[in-house]
Amino acid sequence: MLAIRDIHKRFGHTVAVDGLTLEVRAGEVFGLLGPNGAGKSTTIAITTGLLAPDSGTVDLFGLGSPTNPAVRMHLGLAPQEITLYDQLTARENLVFLARLSRVAAPRHRADELLELVELDARANDRVATFSGGMKRRLNLAAALVHDPKLVLLDEPTAGVDPQSRNRILDLVRQLAAAGKTIVYTTHYMEEAAKMCDRVGIVDHGRMLDAGTVSELIARHGGKSSVTIEREGTEHRVRTDDPVAEVARHFASGGVTAVRVERPDLETVFLALTGRSLRE
Amino acid sequence: MNAIFAIAHKDLRLMFRDRGDVFFTFVFPVILAIFFGFVFGGNGKSSTIELALTVESDSRLAAGIAADLARDASFDVTRFDTRAQAVDAVRRGKASAAVILPASMQDGLDGIFAGKSIPIDAIVDPARRAEAGLIQGKLNELAFRQFPDMLTDGPQMTKFFAGARASLIQAEQLTPTQRLAISGLLAAGDTFTKSLGKSTATTTQPASTWSPIAVTVAELPARTGLPRSSFDVTFPQGTVWGLAGCIGAFASSIVLERSRGTLNRLRLAPIGRVHLLAGKGLACFTTALLVQALLVGLAVVGFGSSIAQPVMLLVACCAAAFAFSGLAMMLAGFCRTEAEANGAGRGAILILAMIGGGTIPLFFMPPLLKTLSFGSPFRWAIAAMEGPFWRDTPIAEQTTPLLVLLAIGVGGFVVGCRAIGRPFAG
Repeated sequence: MLAIRDIHKRFGHTVAVDGLTLEVRAGEVFGLLGPNGAGKSTTIAITTGLLAPDSGTVDLFGLGSPTNPAVRMHLGLAPQEITLYDQLTARENLVFLARLSRVAAPRHRADELLELVELDARANDRVATFSGGMKRRLNLAAALVHDPKLVLLDEPTAGVDPQSRNRILDLVRQLAAAGKTIVYTTHYMEEAAKMCDRVGIVDHGRMLDAGTVSELIARHGGKSSVTIEREGTEHRVRTDDPVAEVARHFASGGVTAVRVERPDLETVFLALTGRSLRE
Repeated sequence: MNAIFAIAHKDLRLMFRDRGDVFFTFVFPVILAIFFGFVFGGNGKSSTIELALTVESDSRLAAGIAADLARDASFDVTRFDTRAQAVDAVRRGKASAAVILPASMQDGLDGIFAGKSIPIDAIVDPARRAEAGLIQGKLNELAFRQFPDMLTDGPQMTKFFAGARASLIQAEQLTPTQRLAISGLLAAGDTFTKSLGKSTATTTQPASTWSPIAVTVAELPARTGLPRSSFDVTFPQGTVWGLAGCIGAFASSIVLERSRGTLNRLRLAPIGRVHLLAGKGLACFTTALLVQALLVGLAVVGFGSSIAQPVMLLVACCAAAFAFSGLAMMLAGFCRTEAEANGAGRGAILILAMIGGGTIPLFFMPPLLKTLSFGSPFRWAIAAMEGPFWRDTPIAEQTTPLLVLLAIGVGGFVVGCRAIGRPFAG
């Protein structure tokens, strides 16, 4: 579906992408997880053809490079920034983009999408009057006007309120259920863990590892941590089997509190990069 | 093509929703054109009618009419030595009408009983057509006003009757009966005149049906080799400011698209770079044509300008619109931020517009600025428009500004397209 091979991109002295390789399968939700500045957005820009890599290749659907307009037809991008016309209404924005993409019935398609993102009631309002969350949803709808097979979502929930975030995540689920292939960049681990079939950990422009969350944890998460409190003292143990460990301590008596910490993507990221995702 | 129209339609919609852009593109140039039109003399719309008067006749009748015209509060009379000077004053908008009291007035007076009329010529500015009737009526009234004085002036009347008798002899179209009747009338007139002596009493009233005055009113010919009013000059200048507003608006909009990321959205669409830039160029071109149409229309309808060569004016407008669309692309390519486009970009436009004669007409400028103006696209746009608008320049002479505008447009598009499309991978 999407094959990125050994791409490099440098801006002056700054290396943005450093030999990144990635394969996304048809129908999956693939998460690109990494801190700000890791090279996620540059990778997305190269994937869409907006940026040319210094070296390496991008192939979409076996059709070749996305710099070809015919190939770009099959991908939709919801960029991190809101790329809408503030002084046009929600409908006008979508109708315009649908016309650009040669959609047969632009108005009908716009109305369908407005309903999908629950903005049909505000269809004739200018985008300038929308809240951040509404703009995000419309930004997502704009990526879907031409019904692309591959949807690239660059930090789709950045800076939105929890309610809008949930709506956006629901939308992503709907798209996934409709068979779209989704590449999803985020620096929210919970989101990646919850939404993505597979996750790739990116840092300093490199793909450190990719796999399902369980696979990544199994490979890099290490042992679970079990903390036992007994009469004011605390005892911490690292184990592969936290349940057995807790049972063993309870059997010996005197336990006042137990805390189990299982490895997660944060642990994986820490293990892979030596720093926290939120640093 | 649909993609091009979609982009152009979107850009026009956005432009018309931006009050600042609408003001600077459409309203500001109109205000400038009207303001400078009045500053440079306007067309003198005041409570009085400006008359350019030339008295070619040395007759008492002509002197009386001229004196009465000068006294009449309805008129502001300026005397000119020749008919050509008077007509030129109308052409330049200095007067609403030229009144000529021709040398043939005396002949008309002498032959009045032989079927001749006393001629008075009036040439009016077509823009002041409404006042033509008033001028004609006034001239008739003033001419008739001379007759009581003439009829009570013994020597003048004696001379008049002598002249009338001479012309009666030569009037072949009269029947013997008419000739006899008029001779009797002239004899009675002689007797009446002799009875007046030096008396100044006025008892004679002209017959109400008698119309010996022939006031001929003609409109100024359509030839417009000179501006008929300052508005002929200032409206092409205003048009240029409209084009400047256009450049500013569209260059800013493209920079805005880049800085806000919507340009990426357009680049992602399955269209080529050519479609994208053609769409943007079409929007700018359309707006440029609209603003030119607005200003030219306003000049014609509201300020009495007339177009000497309509087809060539259309060609000039298209060439100017093309040139300034190219300049918008170039400016958008050079400016990386909104601040650059709105500050440095618009500032550069302002300077070029001033040098190019956007505010002060080139003929008022010192030689150095006139030379510098060759580097301003605004100069060429004004030259291209003035030629067919009021200068009535031969078409061969209009090709230079048109070619320069086309070259500016092509250059602007090439440079702009390269700059705008720089990070575009497609």
